[in-house]
Amino acid sequence: MTRKLIIAGRAALQRKSLTAIVAAALGLVAVAALAAGTQVFDPKTRKWVDYDRTKARKYYAAHNEVPEAFRPQMVKFRTAEVPGTIIIDGNQHFLYLVQPGQRAMRYGIGVGREGFGWAGIVRVGRMAEWPTWTPPAEMIARDPNAVKHAGGMPGGPDNPLGARALYLYERDQDTIYRIHGTPEPWTIGLDVSSGCIRMRNDDITDLASRVKVGAKVIVLMQGAALYKGV
Amino acid sequence: MLAKRAVRTSIRATAIGFLVGALSACVSAPPPPPQDQMSRTQVETAPADLQLLCANAVAKASGVDSTKILPVSSSKLDPKTYQVELDASGKKTRCLVDTEGNVRSVEPT
Repeated sequence: MTRKLIIAGRAALQRKSLTAIVAAALGLVAVAALAAGTQVFDPKTRKWVDYDRTKARKYYAAHNEVPEAFRPQMVKFRTAEVPGTIIIDGNQHFLYLVQPGQRAMRYGIGVGREGFGWAGIVRVGRMAEWPTWTPPAEMIARDPNAVKHAGGMPGGPDNPLGARALYLYERDQDTIYRIHGTPEPWTIGLDVSSGCIRMRNDDITDLASRVKVGAKVIVLMQGAALYKGV
Repeated sequence: MLAKRAVRTSIRATAIGFLVGALSACVSAPPPPPQDQMSRTQVETAPADLQLLCANAVAKASGVDSTKILPVSSSKLDPKTYQVELDASGKKTRCLVDTEGNVRSVEPT
């Protein structure tokens, strides 16, 4: 009887392990399916080319500029949202600032790397010029380089928040996420951050000059595990 | 005899020329995308404005506050239609929208 129970127990354990392996495999497939690699169109070769961190850095070194797609431009944008609303398409790496007449100013952005993406409806709680960067406790725990700035890194050209920061709030609560500048402009168009939305310093400065505190911010991110404000 | 050979060679050269021309026409590069579509991702999601048009349509159809409706997933069904999945205060809804911004259908899933 005891032996039968042990055998039955082992079989159940094996089934559970198998189920766990299958679930893990399916999970990996799902994650792989959502990991959307960026491609840019090369006007010289007239081909779509993969755009990863290494290629992005080389492109920036050669052109002192991000690819055309990620530079600011006015685009058609059919929406019921009021002008001044910020809409972030995390998958395609664009931030739209809604303008009158079914148009939007579009900027290139860098977003959260795998596992750090989020989506939701929040608002601009406050803004700051050349802000101090204080890494959150979670970042200090996983990144030894952040420890030395635990007390706050003063604003400046090397500060990870860049020239401006728009602090995103969920009702009256700081979400700890920001839309900010960056000293690494070549990362625009990539999934690189810890959940913040980064822009070129010129772009965040332009955006901050056009946005008001209280502006609605809609963050779209397919596959995000975290939702804010909805 | 020599004249015949010369004519044959000439015909062959012309035929090869036409063939090469036809082939190169077949493999010529496609026209470049419009200036605002010079980047893409391997997973093709619906444009942000179309996703939000769906959110607006769901708000109208369900009476749920639009600030509680968020597109969570989207995909291209055919060259002119996107499917958008939305979360409306916990209720899952599916919306079909075309590339012109016309919402074709809204239904719970």
